[in-house]
Amino acid sequence: MSDNVSDRKLSMTVNGRKISRPMDGNYRLLDFLREELHLTGAKEGCGAGECGTCSVFVDGKLVKSCLMPTAKAEGAEIQTVEGLAPRGELTVLQRAFHKTGASQCGYCIPGMVMAATSALRANPFADIEEIKERLGGNICRCTGYTKIFEAVELARDILNGQIPATALDAESAGNSFIGNNVRRLDAPSKVSGQLKYAGDMIMPDMVHMQVLRSPHAHARIVSIDTSRAEALEGVACVVTAADVPGIDGFGVFVHDQPVMAREKVRYVGEAVAAVAAETVEIARQALSLIDVAYEPLPGLFDAEKALEPGAPVIHDYAPDNIVKHIPVRKGDVAKGFAEADLIVENTYTTQQVEHAYLEPEAGLAYVDHDGVVTVISPSQNITHHRHMLAEIIAKPINKVRFIMSPVGGGFGGKEDMIYQGMLALAAMKSGRPVRLIYSREESIATTAKRHPSIVTYKMGLTKDGRITAVTFRMLADGGAYGMSTEGVMRKAAILSLGPYDIENCTIDTIGVYTNNTPSGAFRTFGGMQAQFATESHLDICAEKLGLDPFEIRRRNMMVPGSLTHTRQRLENVSIGQVLDVAESFSRWERGAPTSRGATRNDLGGPDVRDACTLGARFREIVENKSKEVA
Amino acid sequence: MGRLARGRGVAASWYGIARTATIDRAGAWAELDDGGTAKIVTGVTEIGEGILTVLAQIAAEELGVRPEDVTIGDNDTARSPEAAHAGATRQTYMIGNSVAIACRDARVKLDGEIASHWGVEASSLKAFNGEIWAEGTNKRMPMEEAVAICKRRGVVPVGSGSFTAHGTGLDPVDGSGAPWQAYVFGCQVAEVEVDTLTGEVQVLGMWAVHDVGRAINPRGVEGQIEGGIVQGLGQALMEDYQLKEGHTSTHGFAKYILPTALDIPQINTRLVEDPDPRSPLGAKGIGEPALVPTAPAIMNAIYDAVGVRITSLPATPEKVLAALAAKTAAERAAEPALAAE
Repeated sequence: MSDNVSDRKLSMTVNGRKISRPMDGNYRLLDFLREELHLTGAKEGCGAGECGTCSVFVDGKLVKSCLMPTAKAEGAEIQTVEGLAPRGELTVLQRAFHKTGASQCGYCIPGMVMAATSALRANPFADIEEIKERLGGNICRCTGYTKIFEAVELARDILNGQIPATALDAESAGNSFIGNNVRRLDAPSKVSGQLKYAGDMIMPDMVHMQVLRSPHAHARIVSIDTSRAEALEGVACVVTAADVPGIDGFGVFVHDQPVMAREKVRYVGEAVAAVAAETVEIARQALSLIDVAYEPLPGLFDAEKALEPGAPVIHDYAPDNIVKHIPVRKGDVAKGFAEADLIVENTYTTQQVEHAYLEPEAGLAYVDHDGVVTVISPSQNITHHRHMLAEIIAKPINKVRFIMSPVGGGFGGKEDMIYQGMLALAAMKSGRPVRLIYSREESIATTAKRHPSIVTYKMGLTKDGRITAVTFRMLADGGAYGMSTEGVMRKAAILSLGPYDIENCTIDTIGVYTNNTPSGAFRTFGGMQAQFATESHLDICAEKLGLDPFEIRRRNMMVPGSLTHTRQRLENVSIGQVLDVAESFSRWERGAPTSRGATRNDLGGPDVRDACTLGARFREIVENKSKEVA
Repeated sequence: MGRLARGRGVAASWYGIARTATIDRAGAWAELDDGGTAKIVTGVTEIGEGILTVLAQIAAEELGVRPEDVTIGDNDTARSPEAAHAGATRQTYMIGNSVAIACRDARVKLDGEIASHWGVEASSLKAFNGEIWAEGTNKRMPMEEAVAICKRRGVVPVGSGSFTAHGTGLDPVDGSGAPWQAYVFGCQVAEVEVDTLTGEVQVLGMWAVHDVGRAINPRGVEGQIEGGIVQGLGQALMEDYQLKEGHTSTHGFAKYILPTALDIPQINTRLVEDPDPRSPLGAKGIGEPALVPTAPAIMNAIYDAVGVRITSLPATPEKVLAALAAKTAAERAAEPALAAE
């Protein structure tokens, strides 16, 4: 028997067709399906069996293909999402996903369809609790799962003949397509695994990129020696900051971030160099041959400490470590507090949060026949990326082209041009198409997060619950680079005090640099951190004043003609209507928020779920067993 | 108090639509194409929110075709007009309105030729679902034929649109300014169950009421709200990116805990439609606003259930247990007679 794995062949049946291929010992079943057979419906979301995006059937059993060595699939019968229905058709379940709007970004959806298919194969009559348990190994970050549950229940009922299949048809548009639940036009391509995300794309002669990242939070780069890496067979090129021909800097508001670390590193995981090579494995091997000498610098890891005199300076241009301070002043706060019957102070903190889109960062760059540097990636802002890259590579703007591939979840996390610059430089240097796909660990550890915040709140109110004055201060950790911090501080300041008409307020939001993982754009852009404080604080005040939470909000809410905290006069204000609808829709029982849960009469209605107790999928087995015993 | 305690909490919210404290703009091109189909080109691609379907609905409505007849060109800085970024709850508002304007421009060209062909006033022409007709007459034909006639007369029915949202910058000293021209408002109620033995919080129900201006695709709006609430729930109860001296210990989904199918409350949604008066469609947005009130509503509900106020997110079981223990200790200290017994 030969020890050389490349001499061995691997045979299996995939989607009903017998296939035989030389075996690559490095391949997991997922790699084999994607790279060898070009079946890219199964996605890599985590590479650790935790997210389920790579789910396939192996001999009828649902398997996470990222955990299965290819050799283990020898002789097996494999079914992927592409093979669930004949080409151009969809299964009832896939059509149900289409009908209910169960796919959003779509990246988790092939895996979700496989898990749901498995659930209904295991028990065609599975109830919602059992369905939820059977989908428990699959993460979706967009949908909130609700429409997915609806789809699986709809498919179950159609397959069982309880609902006619016409329930899957489009709704009648009546006399307008506006306000109509038109089924998502992109859903068929997502539920069938046909849609190509950036990491699914290939080009002839393509090479693969891997990135060398900083092990230090703050260090001066003494030297980078790439010669041993460049000498490795199969390496197309190595790029570092030295390869940037133009003005090296990107960012949403301040261009303080180099494409790769320049002179110093400012956070753990910052890109220092990148290799493009014939295979991912060679690129990884080359990374280990790059010699970087660092001189560690004192680190700064706390937002409060960033403001202290003598704190380490992260960026020379900002010796006070302040990225942005947004002040808002309205009325006379001292007068307002003097008029108050009650003054309440408190502090609120929020944590760093990961976007956790199921599609890790990925991109493909090439230089076209006209010399246009082209980057295909799930960028949320190709317009701005084009401007920045043109400056970085010193080309006219029409020689830079950005193509936005389908985004497998963004939530703000794909607004920053964190890897497209490296790809462009490598494509220019190697003259070949270059593809980069982040691992999940790389995505979590090196990309921007939601700003962690500390809010100190002081509110004055009259006995009848009118707010007379507020001082609000938010300190947010922007991490190592500016990214969206300025905008996040601005939005947090503007929205901070909520939809309330407040005559006197002092608002300050301050974003600072530290050596932590950078904070950036994340769905609500500072709005949720600020309003978490305000809405918690209002309930504390309502309890002290004996007011119902809806009532204290109504007594302070903006109305048409109100001035906002930034003194904009609003003509259209719907908060009154929104509060009224919410109160009746939720069957809210009035009363002050005095932790009265034990005596409420509005709990446990038909519009809440049962509390989760695990084991629904074994219920039938247990029941059958007890019958046997009886 | 028994082991399981339930409670409810409410939180309200507001949000601005499109880019903040600046002029926002977006462009689009439209063409009524052969076969009664349509092409829309604008610098936008799906990030999952359903924008392609929304744009197809808008184009269909404005052009008189069906959504499935609309082809939307890919987002490409070398091939499509600027639509700027996919964020800031601006897609439906900015791109949607620019597409509507572009479609109206294309219809002016088509309607001019068809009105002349039929000898009617252009203002009498109506089109919907693949047909065009002149009101008050029996003149009616498929859009396919109308496009062919228009082209035979030497005109390609194309249009372009640019939509502007007029935000102004904030004063650097006192912050005054008009950062957005459209605002949305929301309110969510949470119902939770707290296990006082383990500290675990389950969110059993959420009621979400949001003003979206005008819902182009109500089911799509619901999907945005459900997704936003579950992200808010994750931040409220479990998600926590941890760093020590800059090194993360939560670098995978085994350590960075996300909501899964078993964590999902029943989500009940009601939409309020207060149309935006400054834009052709009246629609506003929902992407970001959906998750703003979720975490405070859940924290207020935890307080209602067990009387502990979590002011530091996330409310992990450990944190809830510690707060419950502190509360019990404080209550004991406040009741010396009982403590002495």
